[in-house]
Amino acid sequence: MHELSLIESMLAIIREERQKHGMKRILRVRVVNGALSGAVSDSLAFGWECLTQEGDLQGVVLDIVDAPLKVVCGACGKPFVPEDAHYMPCPACGEILGHEIESGKELYIDEIEADIDDNDVADVAAPPTGD
Amino acid sequence: MGKTVTIVRNVMEANERRAAKLKDFFDKERILCLNLMSSPGAGKTTLLERTLSDLAGEFKMAVIEGDLQTDNDARRVAATGAQAVQVNTEGGCHLDGSMIEDAVAELDMTGLDILFIENVGNLVCPAEFNLGEDHKISILSVTEGDDKPEKYPLMFHLSSVMLLNKTDLLPYVDFNLETASAHARKLNKDIQIFPVAASKNDGLAAWYDWLRHARAAKR
Repeated sequence: MHELSLIESMLAIIREERQKHGMKRILRVRVVNGALSGAVSDSLAFGWECLTQEGDLQGVVLDIVDAPLKVVCGACGKPFVPEDAHYMPCPACGEILGHEIESGKELYIDEIEADIDDNDVADVAAPPTGD
Repeated sequence: MGKTVTIVRNVMEANERRAAKLKDFFDKERILCLNLMSSPGAGKTTLLERTLSDLAGEFKMAVIEGDLQTDNDARRVAATGAQAVQVNTEGGCHLDGSMIEDAVAELDMTGLDILFIENVGNLVCPAEFNLGEDHKISILSVTEGDDKPEKYPLMFHLSSVMLLNKTDLLPYVDFNLETASAHARKLNKDIQIFPVAASKNDGLAAWYDWLRHARAAKR
């Protein structure tokens, strides 16, 4: 429901990283979205499209990698990947309750692909110095 | 062809940083902070009114009221004599750390025992934003249906307590306390479950005992 504000947070992080690494032009951004992050990948894609229609990040491609839910059985300790996030019987011992979530809650920017300014003297604008 | 730079930064990091700062502050001041979450109309404000009145002699308490619009709830809560500050999210679906920082700055936190944060009525988004609280508390009213923990798992997964409110209406609705409890325990085996009817002052003793224990743990 708040994917637009998540995209705004992402754009702020991307701008910081752009400056930190002297990126001239960002081509592609990869985010990892866990099955239990609460953010819907389609809505993230739509929010991204809305907020990068113009401006300094116009046309940057967003790749969303959906990360599966992984849990560790609360009874026998076996790690497994449940088919359903609501009903998670352990394949080893059948326990349904008390599993530890190992991954699936994450939502993070994994990597950015960009043209990097390594002492290029071409007539590109100087990288921004302030925020 | 561009160069790929590994970033690995959590999209929620700005909020997580604020939440961590708030948590440090609450710990240092030994204030028990509770984040109350539910659907609109589940009875958060009524529960607070009762709690603030009944425990007024025991604890110094304050409330941060989150709503999209109006200060109706802050006025209801302030009528009990407790300090209350209203945060209007102007359409936002949840409270975040920066809103709590602003609200805390408006409150007199000296000697406070318990700070209640009444989140925006919504079963989805509030659960994703930590506010530096010690515990998340879910309130589910029996008129909403006993399948809600199953349908909206995150909130119940993260909560230390689930209050099943409006139990006085059980004869009139198709709600099974056992089913709701079983769904919640499937997500969170340690969740404490208290059936209450806040408006009828029924079943609140167990909730108050839990509050006393949680408060004592912060001292």
